[in-house]
Amino acid sequence: MDALFLADDKLSAWLGELAAARRVLVPVREREAVVFRPYAAGVTPVLDRQANVPPKASVFPASEALMSFRYTKNPENLGQVAVEVHETIDAPPTVVFGGRPCDARGFLVFDRVYDTPKIQDTAYKKRRENTLFVTLACDDPQNTCFCNSIGSSPYDATGSDVLLTPVSGGYLVECASERGKELVESKLLSDGNALREEAKTVHASALSALGPAWNPSPAKAKLIEKFEDMGFWEDVSAKCISCGACTYLCPTCYCFNVTDERTGMKGERIRTWDTCMSYLFTLEASGHNPRPTKAHRLKNRVGHKFSYYPEIHGGPIACCGCGRCISLCPVSVDIREIVRLSIERPTAKPENK
Amino acid sequence: MSLQDELKAQIVKRLPELDVVIGWGQGYDSLHRTPLFITSEADVDKLVFDPLCVHNLSTYLTRYGSAKRIGVVVKGCDSRSVVELLQEKLIHRDKVMVFGLPCEGVADLGKVKRALAAKDLDMGRVRAASFADGDLVVTVSGQEIRLPMAEVQADKCGRCRYHNAVIHDEFAGQPITEAAPDTYADVAAFEEQTLEERMEFWREQMERCVRCYACRNACPLCVCRDYCIGQSREPNWVSQRDGLEEKFFFQMIHATHLAGRCTECGECERACPVDIPLLLLKRKLGKEILELFDYRAGTDPDAKPPLLNFKVQEDTINERGW
Amino acid sequence: MDKELRIVGFLCNWCSYGGADTAGVGRFVQPTDLRIIRMPCSGRIDPLFVLKTLIGGADGVLVSGCHPRDCHYAEGNYYARRRLEVLKRFLPIIGIDPGRFEYTWVSASEGQRWQHVVTSFTNQIHALGPVQRIGRQSLAKACSLGTVLEPLA
Repeated sequence: MDALFLADDKLSAWLGELAAARRVLVPVREREAVVFRPYAAGVTPVLDRQANVPPKASVFPASEALMSFRYTKNPENLGQVAVEVHETIDAPPTVVFGGRPCDARGFLVFDRVYDTPKIQDTAYKKRRENTLFVTLACDDPQNTCFCNSIGSSPYDATGSDVLLTPVSGGYLVECASERGKELVESKLLSDGNALREEAKTVHASALSALGPAWNPSPAKAKLIEKFEDMGFWEDVSAKCISCGACTYLCPTCYCFNVTDERTGMKGERIRTWDTCMSYLFTLEASGHNPRPTKAHRLKNRVGHKFSYYPEIHGGPIACCGCGRCISLCPVSVDIREIVRLSIERPTAKPENK
Repeated sequence: MSLQDELKAQIVKRLPELDVVIGWGQGYDSLHRTPLFITSEADVDKLVFDPLCVHNLSTYLTRYGSAKRIGVVVKGCDSRSVVELLQEKLIHRDKVMVFGLPCEGVADLGKVKRALAAKDLDMGRVRAASFADGDLVVTVSGQEIRLPMAEVQADKCGRCRYHNAVIHDEFAGQPITEAAPDTYADVAAFEEQTLEERMEFWREQMERCVRCYACRNACPLCVCRDYCIGQSREPNWVSQRDGLEEKFFFQMIHATHLAGRCTECGECERACPVDIPLLLLKRKLGKEILELFDYRAGTDPDAKPPLLNFKVQEDTINERGW
Repeated sequence: MDKELRIVGFLCNWCSYGGADTAGVGRFVQPTDLRIIRMPCSGRIDPLFVLKTLIGGADGVLVSGCHPRDCHYAEGNYYARRRLEVLKRFLPIIGIDPGRFEYTWVSASEGQRWQHVVTSFTNQIHALGPVQRIGRQSLAKACSLGTVLEPLA
């Protein structure tokens, strides 16, 4: 496939073309935060830094109605109540523009859970099929980035449909999937083959800026080994304040909660993001909570990403290395450090029972 | 002896009496400090104190059982939270040892981010940071940038009346004598807008709330946490939908539950991962409480918070007749 | 009077609810915009009741309890007075006119006074018109204008 070129001054024209037939989500600045918002003429996308909130909601909304329902009483026999149910799936054709490779790769972690031969989540699947990713390769990663350590890179196009690389005067545009082809048919894009070398230099310098990669795979066994070592978990979770910023802002965290919200005889079944950092996540109806402390909960977050998920799904880690859980944590809990400590620190022997 | 060394010596001296001392240590990069939990003398070496020590560590005091003896390092503003917790009997004085500090002001990393962004630089790429002659000196993308502290200081520091810890068992360094007046000019400026503009402001801000509750959990006085009414099903104050009404109403819960208690430390706003200016709501309450009751939360351990108190004949509240 | 608005009243069981009843028994004509919720005491009124009601779309909220010194529970209304005064002064920051919320004291025998309170408050709310709600979607507008939200000055 040929590489194409998009000049800087044609960016908004191209976004306009894309937005003609689809909802286009672009990163925009609101105070000091960058968040994804629907594109409209005049919007200036922020492309020079990672968004605070990843485009997770494009495919997996923070709150969505799965169905609406209505109860109707039989006027002849008021004890008889009929329920009417309507499936409600909102899956508009969407392009996520200007996310980073890590943001798009996050959905690969979702796919193994929500779109499998055994289980298919219809709402998720429909939105996934209707959402394309025009991803921007990173030219200068942040201090919290570690995609190189989890087997990816600042220009990894896996999970993206089109990959843009910043080059002088604009972007090199490369198709990264079959589905991406329909997005690059624009007349605004010219031949960019001559810029391939320059893009490669950008990629290489971004990768080298990340510093040396470390290998998290030994953590798979080590985290299991440390499952009972609560001293370790109390130590690494001491500063955690049990908010949900890390999980809600994580492109790979896919846990949800389902609630029926009813007013009178009508209601909706709502699916919302949930966070394992909350006490309520595992609180049982009896009042028992198998994860009563933040140490238990942090153990789950790290364990799930680096041990249980790879165990269940044949190897891949449930982390895309974007570093948001570090950079946006109010107290700078560093998951890289916890994974490294789990590997390096000797496991305390459980006390004899 | 530097202030930091003096503090370290005090902690070493007192550590045998304590289960843990909470201070600040080096974070994941040169611009970030992170809470440090000191349990041994070896840990004391990791202690740092400089204008990047932004966290209010008193938020951890209510996360330990009453059996533990905890030491906590506090700046002036942080110490007010300790006082408020004592006023409300949420902690016991004999279980808490306060290492008080004088503080000339901390940096607001949001402002650092903005100042660097204005020069087309990203705070996430800062490789080195230090303080020299009242400037924060950072190295980013190969350039050395000097940011005057006056420009990147947290707003709360510019109007600080309590630079020195108001309660302490140990005090390191020399107390700072000046105190700035707080005229609540920020609240007044905001209220120059029409009511419609004010609500539109909150619409725009709350839209990006992700309901992570970092604001609540960072707050030293939001002590319900796992049992917060914002997440209870019965009563169901806030629905699971993510509309503006739900998001905003949670902030109403947070603000009203802090009325007369909030010391305006600003942790709610600092903790917010999407930079929602939540302190403004609490500042408004603080302003009204001050005007009505001449009361500043967390300044006197023996004072009774104004909303837990009353006068048969109020001095400042007129009987509301029609 | 123009179209009926939605006004919610939180009334204490011992005085104001009785006062409203007295007004009804005396057949004092009152506007019909008010919906009354009976509370055990004005001290039971969590300011969040009022905020939830206003944010949820009520155009006005009226709280009424026993006169100071007459609380059935001796001091419930003293606490209420402080809380409700703080609440009233808080409302402008969120863009709600403080005139949409009033608290007052009406005893069980004051039927005429109740009529006056309801009439005055209803007129006041009608003068202000329907409440603005935060729930309106602002996103499309913000984006179409290309607004970059600036930090507070």
